[in-house]
Amino acid sequence: MIELKDVTKIYEVNKNESVRALSEINLKIKEGELVILKGSSGSGKSTILSLIAALSKPTSGEVLVDTKKISKLPDNFSSEYRRDNIGFVFQKYNLIPNLSVKENILLPLVPLNLDAQSMHQMSESVMQRFHIEHKQDVLVRNLSGGEQQRAAIARANINNPKIILADEPTANLDEKLSLHFIEMLRELKASNKTIVIATHDPLFFGLDFVDREIQVHNGSLVL
Amino acid sequence: MKNKTWLQGALNIYLIEYALSAILRQKYKNFFILSIFTFLTFLLASVFFITNSIKYELASTLEALPQIIVQKIKAGRQDDIDVSALDEILSIAGVSDAVARVWGYYYFQNAGVNFTLMGVDEYENQYKNSLEKIVQKFDFNNEENIPSMIVGQGVKENMLRNYYKQYFNFIKSDGTLKKVNIAGVFDGDTQLESNDMIVMSKDEVREIFDIQQTKATDIIVKVANPEEINTIASKIRLMYPECRVITNQDLQVSYQNIFDYKSGIFLALFIVCLFTFFMIVYDKASGLSSEEKREIGILKAIGWRVDDVLKEKFYESFILSFFAYVLGIGFAFAFVYIFQAPLLRNIFIGYSELKTSFELPFVFDTQTLFLVFFLSVPIYVAATILPSWKVATLEADEVIR
Ligand SMILES: Nc1ncnc2c1ncn2[C@@H]1O[C@H](COP(=O)(O)OP(=O)(O)O)[C@@H](O)[C@H]1O
Ligand SMILES: [Mg+2]
Repeated sequence: MIELKDVTKIYEVNKNESVRALSEINLKIKEGELVILKGSSGSGKSTILSLIAALSKPTSGEVLVDTKKISKLPDNFSSEYRRDNIGFVFQKYNLIPNLSVKENILLPLVPLNLDAQSMHQMSESVMQRFHIEHKQDVLVRNLSGGEQQRAAIARANINNPKIILADEPTANLDEKLSLHFIEMLRELKASNKTIVIATHDPLFFGLDFVDREIQVHNGSLVL
Repeated sequence: MKNKTWLQGALNIYLIEYALSAILRQKYKNFFILSIFTFLTFLLASVFFITNSIKYELASTLEALPQIIVQKIKAGRQDDIDVSALDEILSIAGVSDAVARVWGYYYFQNAGVNFTLMGVDEYENQYKNSLEKIVQKFDFNNEENIPSMIVGQGVKENMLRNYYKQYFNFIKSDGTLKKVNIAGVFDGDTQLESNDMIVMSKDEVREIFDIQQTKATDIIVKVANPEEINTIASKIRLMYPECRVITNQDLQVSYQNIFDYKSGIFLALFIVCLFTFFMIVYDKASGLSSEEKREIGILKAIGWRVDDVLKEKFYESFILSFFAYVLGIGFAFAFVYIFQAPLLRNIFIGYSELKTSFELPFVFDTQTLFLVFFLSVPIYVAATILPSWKVATLEADEVIR
């Protein structure tokens, strides 16, 4: 399903300075698999998610999803690829603070120009699933951290993606809300999504429904 | 997806809705842009409207100008011409008509302005249509042998201001007074020209200015074929070396100087520069805020394509600038045609007090509307789309980090 082949990612900070975020990593994730990427801050977890979502391109090597080389896609096709396949729950949620929950959740569908009825049905369904429909008309900036995260998860699922990526999903949550997130994760896993979570939160370690935990260290995978 | 019309397919309502909400989310900033934009469109449109009006006015004035004027010059000064010259001029091939005019400038001391006193004779051809109409409409020698006159709007106002409501006392050259009734107000086809004019019978004008029956102020010559104006003018010059022969082409130049609508064109250019300047300054000063950049990054990250982002920015800027355009045009219409462009008109008309009291005629010109549109809306749209395009084509990861 997802395959990283000899992927290296070097960030050019400026002319004289570059950061080697990933060094020739190889990784295969099967369909329906739930993988936890763990490792300390700066080890390269977010960079892996970003490459899988085609939000950035590898410096060398390739990223394949469903045998498609997404690391070679022109910009517009990367957008379409994300729209059709990826649900990303960003670390900072990346919601638009002055829009309501419902508007934020519908945002990925806006360019599709669907009819009003299906838009409504799709948003109702994800808002119910992730328990945020009672806040649908509230501006995102007035939400609590947990509510923002549920809105972000609902948005990530509105396009019914095959792949769900979540970056440090519990970083801004207290323990109760973190456990709640883990329950939602269990549910997503049950619906046969391919899921990759980047986290250093020990709450995720040793969960029964997690297929694999991969340690990332200094831009390499520890096997 | 199924039952969609072509229009629904081409226009994405959600994208437009999103653009509207994006405008409203930045109320203050956009209100500021809207105000400045409206003001600049207003200025630009006003300049064009005034220029159009004046051009129109000028065109009708020039059309009404006599083709050839013959003046007698004596010792370097204009003098009365012998009416007998009429017959000789009429005998020149190509001349269709010649009329001796009796007229002069009358200085109205109370107001400090000159009126044009024009004499007409009911039994004669008038040298232009507007006068013909007046002669037919009014009787210049009606009650109790008191002569009467028709005055232009500006004259009327000036006389009223000096408490002459029914009549006016002219001071003749021998110092005695001549009372003339005001019989009506003149509405010529061109206000600029008729505004300071007084029309009365030739005999009264002769009496006021002391012009003999055998003399006239000048002679107007009509030429059947306008191409021949210059040849005929040269012939008259040969016949009357002591006369000055002026053609309407000579006059056009001096009229054009009176209404310097060219200054309007320069003003328009200036405003366009101002416009561009404002856009550049605005772009440099604020560009895209980090918030706006981030928003574009987020949209890209959740699956918007570059062209989706740019379409949205297009709607956003088009809605804002088109709204400002419509407001600006509306204000300019009211300002120029209803309020007669206070302040601005002075730039165009460097003329005496009386001359400026003409009205700006309403000239509807779709070309102007298009011109103002193309000088404003696309500039703003481009100024909005370009920086967004720069951000939208970056890797989304870079932008939202
Ligand atoms: N856009 C970027 N520009 C420069 N350096 C970056 C950029 N993104 C990540 N890095 C660097 O790459 C390394 C890996 O970062 P990241 O993948 O975010 O790690 P993690 O998510 O495990 O904390 C870090 O040293 C980080 O500073
Ligand atoms: Mg990270």
